Amino acid sequence: MIAKLRSLRLTQRQAFAFLAIILALALIALLIYLLWLLSRGGFTSGGGAVVEGLRPIYVIDGPGEGEKPKFDRPMGVAYGKDGRIYVSDTDNNRVCVFNGRGQFLFEFGEFGVAKPLPGGEMSWVEGRMNFPLGIDVDDEGNIYVADFRNDQIQVFDREGIFLRRFPDPMQVVGKGASGQDGTGIAVTDVAVWDGKVYALDSYQVVVFTADGEFYAQFGKPGSGPGDLDRPNGIDVADDGTIYVSDSNHNRVTAFDQTGEVLWTLGEPIGEMAAEVEYVFGLPRGITVMSDGSILVVDAFEHTLSEATAQGDFVRRYGRRGTQPAEFNFPNAVDDNDDRIVVADKENNRVQVLELLK
Amino acid sequence: MPVGAWNHRSSHRSMGWLPELRQKALVAAAVAFIATLLSVSAAYAFDELTPPAAKGCPDCHGLESGFTSPTVAPTRKGPHGGYSAGTQKCGTCHTVHAAPPDGVLLLPKTTIKDTCFTCHDGTGGNGVYGVLNARGITPAAQHRIEVTNLVPGGDPNGDAKTKTFSAANGYLTCSDCHSPHDAETVSAFAGDRARTSTDTTFPLSPATNRLLKKQPTSSPWSVDQYGSSWCGGCHEGRMYGSAGVVNHPVETETAGFYYDNIVRVTGTDTNTTEMGTLGGNNFGYVMPITRSAQQSGHYPICQQCHEDSRNIGDVSPGQIAPGETFSVTTSDGQNAANNPRFQAFPHESENAYFTVEQNDDLCLNCHIPPG
Repeated sequence: MIAKLRSLRLTQRQAFAFLAIILALALIALLIYLLWLLSRGGFTSGGGAVVEGLRPIYVIDGPGEGEKPKFDRPMGVAYGKDGRIYVSDTDNNRVCVFNGRGQFLFEFGEFGVAKPLPGGEMSWVEGRMNFPLGIDVDDEGNIYVADFRNDQIQVFDREGIFLRRFPDPMQVVGKGASGQDGTGIAVTDVAVWDGKVYALDSYQVVVFTADGEFYAQFGKPGSGPGDLDRPNGIDVADDGTIYVSDSNHNRVTAFDQTGEVLWTLGEPIGEMAAEVEYVFGLPRGITVMSDGSILVVDAFEHTLSEATAQGDFVRRYGRRGTQPAEFNFPNAVDDNDDRIVVADKENNRVQVLELLK
Repeated sequence: MPVGAWNHRSSHRSMGWLPELRQKALVAAAVAFIATLLSVSAAYAFDELTPPAAKGCPDCHGLESGFTSPTVAPTRKGPHGGYSAGTQKCGTCHTVHAAPPDGVLLLPKTTIKDTCFTCHDGTGGNGVYGVLNARGITPAAQHRIEVTNLVPGGDPNGDAKTKTFSAANGYLTCSDCHSPHDAETVSAFAGDRARTSTDTTFPLSPATNRLLKKQPTSSPWSVDQYGSSWCGGCHEGRMYGSAGVVNHPVETETAGFYYDNIVRVTGTDTNTTEMGTLGGNNFGYVMPITRSAQQSGHYPICQQCHEDSRNIGDVSPGQIAPGETFSVTTSDGQNAANNPRFQAFPHESENAYFTVEQNDDLCLNCHIPPG
């Protein structure tokens, strides 16, 4: 065969014809590839090698269209029951929605101030946001957004149509919360479970009904068990256990439905010495996986940490970097059976990954 | 068409050089492939997050200027200090492979400001830029970061002066005032912001030094305590004794007056004074006339007039109005009269010139109007 190839002789015309055919085939292949790429929508790319227990599936850099085609510090993510991916694109003050393949569907939200000071401009109308953070979706597909600097939660239907907001950011919530001037909630994350909405403020968990009626609150400033300091992640397990990423305490605390502490994992870090073992550098987003274990975003370790439902540390996933399955100050995570989605904040992207246990 | 047919139709203008070209191409491709493998393996062989065995980052990179030991403040939370030999915490912020090519100091963002904002965005505590815009207010005063290096009162004669700071173009940036490594920083002082996890009664415990450098960039002197002398490192023309000062000179650390050691009234509705800290209450924000023996002959420090905006009461000269309260409430917002509101000093303020109150509301606390 090789001898035959070596003895191959072509006329110039034949050689050019051969090259033309090759080029034409390459061009056709390129066009097919481009059509496939464009059909996926958004700035989406896929694949990559397994990294520290994570298999990259695809990466979304933004909607890929409109005035803001790319994310700017996305800090919240959620899976819908239908596999949709919802992203709090924080510095762009919007929510972007993608289907399960990463195709961009639509976006909603823009900057609006709901709680102006005297002399300030009230620019909020229904659906406008001010530094949206945590996000969750109920069984009907309604979307709950932690509207952090407006001291409120906004609820939208699955198409992004505004439904309601709560609490009233100008009214005291329960015994009081961390919103500006003591009204509303400086809410960092929300979780919807069994008809209730669990929200975090600076030092508490505040529970509402899905309609927005105040239901309960627990937690307070301090450093004892159950005290909270700037928590940034909350999720609720099927059995009702409430998991909170107690960020500035470098720990995760599990509460029962009455607010009693079940366990804590991690502890406040004093001296950051190498010989001091610590579990979390800065726990932020948290999700309960389908097998009941929990997955915690560690923003300072640039990893995901797994723990059992009983509060035992299991292992870390991923590492720092800019390649797929690598993170740069990640902030949020959600789980959808065999896949997870991560808000990779300082890489300005969202990653869909498979967790290889 | 059979391949052999092409050979059959070969001529003197045949492509007989193709096999040789293929061989060369194959050799070149093999060399390139091996070279690529070697370079890639070398890159991946270095784990930036794990120092070599028994070594910490300072073993190769050295210590902060002025330090003889890598161990600094033992109670500092987060990645800012508290390092010991063998620490791996440098990798929290610094990254070899993930740093942007146009960045600085192997930080995750292209500027120091953006790197700081990576965490200091309000979700972990108060006192950050942006909180006023979030309330529909355009800040009336800011220490503008990475946009200017013109310092009001920066010249000893009282004029503005262009200085050279650490950001591009010599502009001011966060690390000109703060040391992210808590190296060579001022003593801890009782700040006004309740951002710790302890209970929120004042004075705060533990106190913090806000990572303020003893000697901010461009400052001609180093100070141990936060107060007027610290501010005066950049605003030299505002210091007592400076040639350009014609009004409101400020007291100095040399005189023993700083943030945690000033003359303040002992409580509401009184003119009795004591030496104490400015932070934690509003008792020390005014020096009503007639002054006490402790106040007499001294000037206020900068922070008595320039701090977070707040209501320091309706104080008549010579007498604090009966029943006036001056309490500073906590930042958890449980008190509807939260005061100060934003705790963003000295980053930004709703009041011009960072004054605690505006216009004559401030002036009349100390000065008796004519007539």
